[in-house]
Amino acid sequence: MFGKLLKYDFRSMFKQFAFIWPAALALALVNHFTMSAMTTVSGDGIVGTSTVGTTTAGVSMLVYVAILMAMFITALVFTIQRFYKGLLGDEGYLMHTLPVRPWQLIGSKLLCAVVTTFLSVIVAVVSVFIIMPWSREDLRVLFEGFRYLFAHWDSQASNVVIAILETILLMLMSFATGFLQLYLAMSLGHLFNKSRVALSVVAFIAINAVMTTLLSVLPDISLHIAPGHSMSAYHQAVWLAIATELVISAVYFAGTEFILRKKLNLE
Amino acid sequence: MNETLVSCTALTKRYGSKTALRGVNLELGRGRIVGLLGPNGSGKTTLIKILVGLLQPTEGAVLVDGQSVGPCTKAAVSYLPDRMYFADWMKATDLFDLFADFYRDFDRTRAMSMCASLGVTPSDRLKSMSKGTKEKVQLVLVMARKAQLYLLDEPIAGVDPAARDFILNTILTNYNEEGTVLISTHLISDIEKVLDEAIFLKEGAITLHDTVDNIREREGKSVDALFREIFRAHNMEGGAF
Repeated sequence: MFGKLLKYDFRSMFKQFAFIWPAALALALVNHFTMSAMTTVSGDGIVGTSTVGTTTAGVSMLVYVAILMAMFITALVFTIQRFYKGLLGDEGYLMHTLPVRPWQLIGSKLLCAVVTTFLSVIVAVVSVFIIMPWSREDLRVLFEGFRYLFAHWDSQASNVVIAILETILLMLMSFATGFLQLYLAMSLGHLFNKSRVALSVVAFIAINAVMTTLLSVLPDISLHIAPGHSMSAYHQAVWLAIATELVISAVYFAGTEFILRKKLNLE
Repeated sequence: MNETLVSCTALTKRYGSKTALRGVNLELGRGRIVGLLGPNGSGKTTLIKILVGLLQPTEGAVLVDGQSVGPCTKAAVSYLPDRMYFADWMKATDLFDLFADFYRDFDRTRAMSMCASLGVTPSDRLKSMSKGTKEKVQLVLVMARKAQLYLLDEPIAGVDPAARDFILNTILTNYNEEGTVLISTHLISDIEKVLDEAIFLKEGAITLHDTVDNIREREGKSVDALFREIFRAHNMEGGAF
């Protein structure tokens, strides 16, 4: 049943992002060309800029930045809406009468939201690479570099790759914690019969305040992530951070699940 | 198979200081069409929401087919809420896919033929449908299941009298005959002829639960007339109609 829920959540997600992801990448490609058209090389090798080229580049850059922002705002709004309308609004009458358990409903929404945001980050990173003024030669050098790296693979290289993967995992975990905080805040807000949206915002701020106070008593782990420390200290610090996020997520999840299971209050 | 399909014991639901249900005891058998009758605010929707698992009772216990409310009972219950519950961007056929995925008892072929007889084009987007057509789609979804228990919350409240017969007819010709249909309404005259049993709900308590034949025989009047008599005070206040 969980797989079926995921199918429907991902289907509605792809509907939402089917335009914006390709658009961001296409605009990045446009920017790649307008950026290189901005500089002109005259016959005697002097590099200058053309006014038309600069204007075009400026405008297309503006559009690109706007669509990138729109993409992340959409991801956030999508996350909030899928939960609020889908589980706490009228659509909740359908979702909560399906033969599934509340944790499956929350889990499916959460997984879909984390994947959506992660894919948006990937689109953003890839688009930056597309904009950069690369040439065929640059790609060849890059490829050679990778070949060299793989040919001379050592523990240092694996260490770096593992550190990158750990950092990505930490990023995903912090997305999950953030979304679960939103879910819990909305679930708390929906317990009231009036001004649910406003009270959800209040709940969000209140959770934030509580968590800031609680976390302030924990030792600051960011010191260990700072440069100058050994790689093993970095690994340790990242895993500690992941564990912290995991514990907070579990608390938020349990709270949300309890409200949906025991205190559901659809209007 | 358990002969009792629904069993409520001392069911109480409070919303803050307001009590919606007070100690309801109810047993429903199989293969019946039961009217859940009462004026607005008498607790009909609350009782149905508890049976379907959208609300948790404050006190008391509910068993559907011998099991407490959960995924197993939800798989056997077909529920028509008093509102639209689907995302607008979907087509009716998308909803059929969804129901076929989640409910093993959903009969897609029957859903399509019901659409045809109700004049609904299932490939249209729900957004482009009128309110009445959307209600028909929802009715098709609910009645195309071969469920044990159908919970229909005010299925005829929002439509004109001609459409009421149409809807009642759809319900009657499509429900699973081994299953039980519980219809909540305050429009009794329209549905009295199809009911096997009637439950009168007044201020959160059951005041009467009997077969329609018994009621007529004992009281010497129709269920509708009896209802008007019992709830006259409410009518005078304008609460019911």
